[in-house]
Amino acid sequence: MPDMDLVTTPPRTRVRHHMVWIVASLLFGLGSWLIGQGAWIHLKAVTAQWLLHQAWQETLTSQQPVKPWAWADTWPVGKLTIPRLGTNQIILADASGQSLAFGPGKVGKGKFSGKDSESLILSGHRDTHFSFVQDLQVGDVLTLQTLQGNWLNFSVENTAVVDSQEVTLTSNHEGGMLQLITCYPFDAVLPGGPLRYVVTAKLAARKLSLKPRLLPTPLEAQEEGA
Amino acid sequence: MNSRRPHAFLLMCCMMSSWIGGLTLPSVAAQTTQEPRQESVGKKPKGGVLLKTATGKNPISAPLLNTTVTMTISGLIARTTVSQEFSNPSEEWAEGVYVFPLPNQAAVDHLRMKIGEQIIEGQIQERAQAKKTYAKAKAKGQRASLVEQERPNIFTTSVANIAPNAPIIIEIEYQEVVRYDQGQFSLRFPMVVGPRYIPGQPQDIEEDSSSPQGLGWAPNTDQVPDASRITPPVQHPSRGLINPIALHIDLAPGMLLQNIESPTHPITLTKQETNSYHVSLQDVSTYAERDFELIWTPLSHETPQASVFTEQHEGETFLFLQLMPPTSSDSKTITIPREVVFVIDTSGSMGGKSLTQAKAALSLALSRLTPQDTFNLIQFNSVTHSLYPIARQASGSRIHEAQRYLKGLQATGGTEMLPALRQALTRPSDSEESLRLRQIIFMTDGLVGNEEALFALVQRELANTRLFTVGIGSAPNGHFMRKAAQFGKGTFTYVGSTTEVQEKMNNLFLKLEHPALTDITIQSVDSTIAEILPDPLPDLYNGEPLTVAFRTTTLPTSITITGKHGGRPWETTQSLIDAKSRGGIAVHWARQKIAQLMDQGTQKKDKTLLRQSIIDLALKHHLVSRYTSLVAVDVTPVRPEAQPLHTHGLKTNLPNGMKQEAIFGWPQTATPATAYLVIGSMLLCLTWIWSRRHHAHG
Repeated sequence: MPDMDLVTTPPRTRVRHHMVWIVASLLFGLGSWLIGQGAWIHLKAVTAQWLLHQAWQETLTSQQPVKPWAWADTWPVGKLTIPRLGTNQIILADASGQSLAFGPGKVGKGKFSGKDSESLILSGHRDTHFSFVQDLQVGDVLTLQTLQGNWLNFSVENTAVVDSQEVTLTSNHEGGMLQLITCYPFDAVLPGGPLRYVVTAKLAARKLSLKPRLLPTPLEAQEEGA
Repeated sequence: MNSRRPHAFLLMCCMMSSWIGGLTLPSVAAQTTQEPRQESVGKKPKGGVLLKTATGKNPISAPLLNTTVTMTISGLIARTTVSQEFSNPSEEWAEGVYVFPLPNQAAVDHLRMKIGEQIIEGQIQERAQAKKTYAKAKAKGQRASLVEQERPNIFTTSVANIAPNAPIIIEIEYQEVVRYDQGQFSLRFPMVVGPRYIPGQPQDIEEDSSSPQGLGWAPNTDQVPDASRITPPVQHPSRGLINPIALHIDLAPGMLLQNIESPTHPITLTKQETNSYHVSLQDVSTYAERDFELIWTPLSHETPQASVFTEQHEGETFLFLQLMPPTSSDSKTITIPREVVFVIDTSGSMGGKSLTQAKAALSLALSRLTPQDTFNLIQFNSVTHSLYPIARQASGSRIHEAQRYLKGLQATGGTEMLPALRQALTRPSDSEESLRLRQIIFMTDGLVGNEEALFALVQRELANTRLFTVGIGSAPNGHFMRKAAQFGKGTFTYVGSTTEVQEKMNNLFLKLEHPALTDITIQSVDSTIAEILPDPLPDLYNGEPLTVAFRTTTLPTSITITGKHGGRPWETTQSLIDAKSRGGIAVHWARQKIAQLMDQGTQKKDKTLLRQSIIDLALKHHLVSRYTSLVAVDVTPVRPEAQPLHTHGLKTNLPNGMKQEAIFGWPQTATPATAYLVIGSMLLCLTWIWSRRHHAHG
């Protein structure tokens, strides 16, 4: 019997050898593809913002919705900056899955032209654009540039985790609020959990920044540059 | 050693999958257990109320609701008592506010508040006055209840000062006329207000102080100024069903029956003496999450030709007449070419079963078209999209194209109905094309808050078009279905399940393809009738009876009814001598009159005059209307002044078959990037380790 084994082993090993290499290359291929997909999501998030900044400049000049690229389904409606964290992001008109890949989006029908009575909810991906949200602290200043070019300052009032199955997302009845929503926990590997992290900021010193002095609007910066 | 390699591979696979499993575990745990979630929620926040919470901001348990419905149907008229038991499981005093549906033609005329043995009868008052009466009693610590009408089919019960562990029972009584159509009697009892889509811009609270404020999930908007009152908070389906409901019906049909059935719920049927039946729900744990429908079919020779009832009320005579015109199923089908516009609602609330039903129904309707007809197919959600820019000839290939388009439709987004309806009502400019018989078949759950704007549009733009509504899903908006069809001079039908599609649609085809009885007038031979409702009398489609309410001083002995059937004159004379006297006929007339006045209001900006007429009428007949409410107050204060009262907006279920995410979805705010990177890296590591091992041993 051992003799028999010796005779038959070589071809079997060869077959197995081939199999192993096929499986290994498949796994390698799949692994590389997944890494590519992951990297692509981040690359898209960064590149899109770059294009969006350009579209936002045009929006401010023309006062018309400007599509960041020809086939885009969405357009910029505002700019959010957090001076302390050095964050600078363009906000999109809606919060659909396609739009959030490119930037944070406005949720629902809220609008903000600068009135105390208006409120705005923004949402973004916890692992790309809105990863900074976890670093926000009470008292932090959020600055929002409106379509009219005005800069509005908000200060963070509180942060909380809510269960999206318990709480209905709706436009706020209370005015003068800016809320940022993103998924929670921040370090979860898989998407799709029910928890959300919500940062609420209240409008502060509105009049002060209507005519920007210290912070030039991009429009002015552009003119100066030109 | 060779033989161990596959084992090593398997082992590694197991390790890898358990690692991934471990990574997903936190979110899985959060989904399955409630306690850990609250702990994890508790750690991070620094307090404060955030978004408007639909579940109520306070941690105090809301009152629980238990509903019992008792119905007595005798002949054509049904009287129903809806008994809502509010119990307070908390240690604090509570006010419960419950938004619930009733049949869209219900004439609500009684309210009783029961506390133990004590019964307090409700009073009818002008709405603002009733609100004041209620608020005053509430502040004084007296038990009080208020029943208001938000829409003809949406009502609000408010109950103040419910003591801990001492339930209050609110009994609401209403009357309605059962529907008779194509040889069958039917009655629908809605159990839940489906989530309405609210178009428009949110209103500022300061600017908006005149609009009524409610506890709903939607803010009032410029297009729906009372949105917060018609959008009761919704329980997430994963939390289980709430609001148990029991139903008891005593049915005395007044004729021999062939069949009694409910297409919506399994029922227990008990035959009693003297040709009457008792119907109850088979399932003892039924929850308010879908409409209930009961259908009874008389033996064919028993089908009544006419029913006449009369009642004397405060010196006036009221009369109710239901008459079967000669059935037209034997008559010829329509031969003039038609232009059929199909409209299908593909908003988020149609997701799941509803869209499947709508597609099946529409597909069937498409197959009925003939090459002489033209057609178009319009879908709408947040945006409107049509298959063709204008109606096209219904050739075989085009029908095929339409079927393919239909198959690909998906339900998502809002319910912007106005643009879709406007497009459907737009008539072809070609004069030859405009000779066609235009029919719109509108398939929707009707779950919108701006009904009046839609009715006004239909009234304005209708011309020669006829609008037929098909109510889809488990809890459609019956008010929209009936009224849109009424203003559209068509008719309405319901499709509640896929098994019903064939039968219900066939009934609709009979109406679409046979000539209607039009230009109906009623004249009395020997005395004048002061008022006939509805006014104008509607066209009658295949299988529909003529149902009218009269108010008069002296009862005529007979009346003549004339009309046109397929262009030919039609006439019949009905004797009224045998009219039987019975209760509820005056109330029926008053409810019809209020509906007519409300209809007039859809076109008018200034409603002051109409409003006053409605108030006068409703107060006289003890009826709840948009402008009048029932209020009941217990004289003795029970809540000590020092103890606070907590207000709770009671939650409702999401209608059966709907998906929470499709309607109230939060944005998905995480990408799969990390998961891709982690799993991808693991696979690469695995390949590397494995190939190393292979080299070492090979």
